[in-house]
Amino acid sequence: MKQVTLCVPLEVKPESCSRLTAAIEDLKRQEDKSADPNSPNFWRLRERIPTLHFMSISVFPAHDYDPVFILEANFDGPEGAFWNDLTAVVGEELRVMIRCCKRPSDGTGALYDAVTALASKRSVAPYFEARTQRPSVFHHGNRGLACQQILRDHSVFLETVEELDRRAPQLYRGEAPAKVHADLRTALLPNHRWLDDQAPERISPAERITDWAALTLFVLLLLAVAAAPGLLLAGLGVARDHLVAMALASVVATAAALLFWVRHLEVRDSSHDRPRQDERMLREMIRREDWITQNHMGSIVLIKPGVLRTVIVRAGHRGLHLALRALRASRAGYLGSMRTVHFAHWAFLNNHSRLLFFSNFDHSWDSYLDDFIEKAHGGLTLAWGCGVGFPTTRYLVGEGAEHGRQFKAWALASRTVSRFWYSAYPDLTVDQIERNHRIANGLRNKSLDDSAAEAWMLDL
Amino acid sequence: MSGFGALRFGRALCLSFGPDLTGGSWLSVLERVAPVTNAVPPGKGETGSRAAALALSWSGLRQMGLEETALASFSRPFREGMLQEDRLRRLGDRRGDDWETTVVPGGPVWSANTPLRASAAGLRGGFDVPDGTAAEAHVTTALSVHAMLLLYTGSDEDASAWCAEVEAALRPVGVTVARSRSLFIDPEHPEQGNISREHFGFADGLSQPDPYDVGGAVTLDDVPVTQPRPVQGVPLGDFLIGYRNGHGEPSPGPVLPVPPPDDDGPAQAGLVRHPTAEGFLDLGLNGSYIVVRELKQDVAAFWQSMDANADRIRRHDPKHASHVTADWIAERVIGRNKDGHLLCPKGTLPPVNGAPNNDYLFWKDDRYAHGCPAGSHVRRANPRDALAPDDASRPSLLEAANRHRILRRGRKYGTSIADPRQDDGQERGLLFMCLNTDIARQFEFVQQTWLLNSSFAMLYGEEDPLLGAPGPMTIREKPLRRIVQVETYVQLVGGDYFFLPSLPALRYFALL
Repeated sequence: MKQVTLCVPLEVKPESCSRLTAAIEDLKRQEDKSADPNSPNFWRLRERIPTLHFMSISVFPAHDYDPVFILEANFDGPEGAFWNDLTAVVGEELRVMIRCCKRPSDGTGALYDAVTALASKRSVAPYFEARTQRPSVFHHGNRGLACQQILRDHSVFLETVEELDRRAPQLYRGEAPAKVHADLRTALLPNHRWLDDQAPERISPAERITDWAALTLFVLLLLAVAAAPGLLLAGLGVARDHLVAMALASVVATAAALLFWVRHLEVRDSSHDRPRQDERMLREMIRREDWITQNHMGSIVLIKPGVLRTVIVRAGHRGLHLALRALRASRAGYLGSMRTVHFAHWAFLNNHSRLLFFSNFDHSWDSYLDDFIEKAHGGLTLAWGCGVGFPTTRYLVGEGAEHGRQFKAWALASRTVSRFWYSAYPDLTVDQIERNHRIANGLRNKSLDDSAAEAWMLDL
Repeated sequence: MSGFGALRFGRALCLSFGPDLTGGSWLSVLERVAPVTNAVPPGKGETGSRAAALALSWSGLRQMGLEETALASFSRPFREGMLQEDRLRRLGDRRGDDWETTVVPGGPVWSANTPLRASAAGLRGGFDVPDGTAAEAHVTTALSVHAMLLLYTGSDEDASAWCAEVEAALRPVGVTVARSRSLFIDPEHPEQGNISREHFGFADGLSQPDPYDVGGAVTLDDVPVTQPRPVQGVPLGDFLIGYRNGHGEPSPGPVLPVPPPDDDGPAQAGLVRHPTAEGFLDLGLNGSYIVVRELKQDVAAFWQSMDANADRIRRHDPKHASHVTADWIAERVIGRNKDGHLLCPKGTLPPVNGAPNNDYLFWKDDRYAHGCPAGSHVRRANPRDALAPDDASRPSLLEAANRHRILRRGRKYGTSIADPRQDDGQERGLLFMCLNTDIARQFEFVQQTWLLNSSFAMLYGEEDPLLGAPGPMTIREKPLRRIVQVETYVQLVGGDYFFLPSLPALRYFALL
């Protein structure tokens, strides 16, 4: 099942912004039944949208623009079905929010009128679908696992622990690993019949081939563009007999010229090392964090202007996206050497002049940023270095996020309050989801030999 | 940076200012009875028979009249205090309106009682509507501590006598001793360093960072240490303000606006100009932040719980669990044996020159934690390279872990228990103290992301077995792990964040 990552940005009527914020808070209070111990948090979303992994609704204030409302979601399967499911649960609440946003000037204005008219009964699903914004880059920490699969694997994990430590603590001691595996399988099968089925493929061969083909094509295209000046010269008669040499020389010369140009821009870039932090906003962000294992962040930054920057940002994001789909480590859920990111989602707003970033991650925001600074600063600098005010960079990947304090201050100032935020499995880390999946996959085997069972038992 | 190791006794005095106290003249009074001195490195002359250290809270500095810009220039955790409600949640002390079981019933007894910072929450603009979110709670304690005075002496009698002198001198100037704890260490082999056992019976304070400084501020045997030692090397700036820190810049600290020409107090005190803030003096240079947490230990509860777990495991597995004793479990809760040697798959790590080896790494010999459990206290408190996903990323993960180190300077308080399985009704524990310049990146990170992280190192629903909430703890064995149920043995009694000023800063505070 393919996981879809998208967002819907809507410009807010400034005089309705506070009302919109209150409406989002109302929705959160309505769905988050933490006060009632008998009903789990967000149970309506959990039960009625079984494909939904994560969703957030927030408002981004800005110094340079009117505020923007963004609904962002990660779900399995077709978009149409998701929007229908979502609007069936909270459609009227979302309609109130759309009313707080401006009428778009493009072709979706009529749809806006239809769904926001007084007493309108028209579904808001088509409006959200029409206003959807695709990501420029995304990364999934547990790629290829459907939401329901993640939850099923976890229930197997919990029952395994229960069986080993409470129900039959004596049964599994002193047995050979193969027997422990067989006995556990027998014990769990009645409640989890699906363990008899073969595990579905997480990434199909077709998807794998497409991912690699796209990355290869992208690299070839870059090389072709870099080789073009040399080939053009050859066409004009310069060293006509040495086409390959001319192409190679052209690639080297183009790369050198671009690097020189980049460095020329970098030494003239201004950074924003001590951005002003809105105390009220900061407090609202922090008070929502660190209640559970996962946390959420949303950020918007302006993109540096200029021809070269524009080309680099677009090509860089495309390349990063394709690499994150194709490379083995990122397919296994690693971003650099970090495996705490459930998803990372970049998208361009306002004709590519603003860059949006959303992420769901394990542990605190500070530890997430520390991870970036300590373990993935190069890739992060490449992806975010195009932002206005980003700490001083060197050849696109150097320094930047290594200026840890400045980078944290810059990132913090670009964030907004995650007012409504839903996770289908809030207490599971990326690692734990993989652990659960390995345990469940082991149990799907009718039998394991002792050495395979012993390796599998490391996860129990 | 020495912890006055030669002076094994002492007192921690929580000082409270009376409502009428203003200014810093009480520090001059203190100077006469308990002069604060620079620590003397081991083997660098005599410390004398008495030594004192003083740290101040934000609320204390404010009451003494430190000017507003200077107060605002301290780091956020210090300005907000340890009892700010979001901070309490991250530190595992309180969730919403409820104190966790790891805090004494009813909440901590003492803190700095830092006031809530002014918020713009009340401001209403045109078109604004209330969004129904609650205001920030102001969490307070019965005792307000404005300063921590640490007195170190060679004997307990001298500590009592000195304490009485200090109390008598300070009372007339409006400073009272709100709380006092008798501190001590009792190293069994002083020649191997100051390794003392904490109340549960385990060698404590073993693993410490080795500071270095590219500018040559750290010397060892008169040779500058400018490069990190392989395992424990941490830049000096993570412990002293103004030196190169883990982010590769001088660690930031508080500043003071340059006073008008007729006020030469700051210059006389010895404050120097700040290197980057034009027109400001460096109030932080050579100072640090000190985290203090008074942790009460229930020794009998700890050992009774170990007994109960050992009994249960042996009962459930009579044939294969004869090695599981209370000591065996307790060693795995800590991660070391009682003498401080690290557990490893083949037993314990051999000593180096008779003392526990502290330059170990986890990944190579104990990646799957069959020796030192993944969730043991020492592995959580400093995972070194244990969290590396593969061999290639070990160096970067070790380097990442060393960005979050603290310099521990805790001492135990109370008396040693006669029978560890019999509660004698006496209060005892550890006065946890650590130095760091970035409280959020160092102390709070260690507490939140390592010690109390319920999914640390791919564990599920487990916290630090000593400091965390009651619950399971996994101990790996081949082929199947065992799980023990740990209870609450350690409770927070009080604490806060304090500023440990340099001598010039302290002299300046006395002029307020």
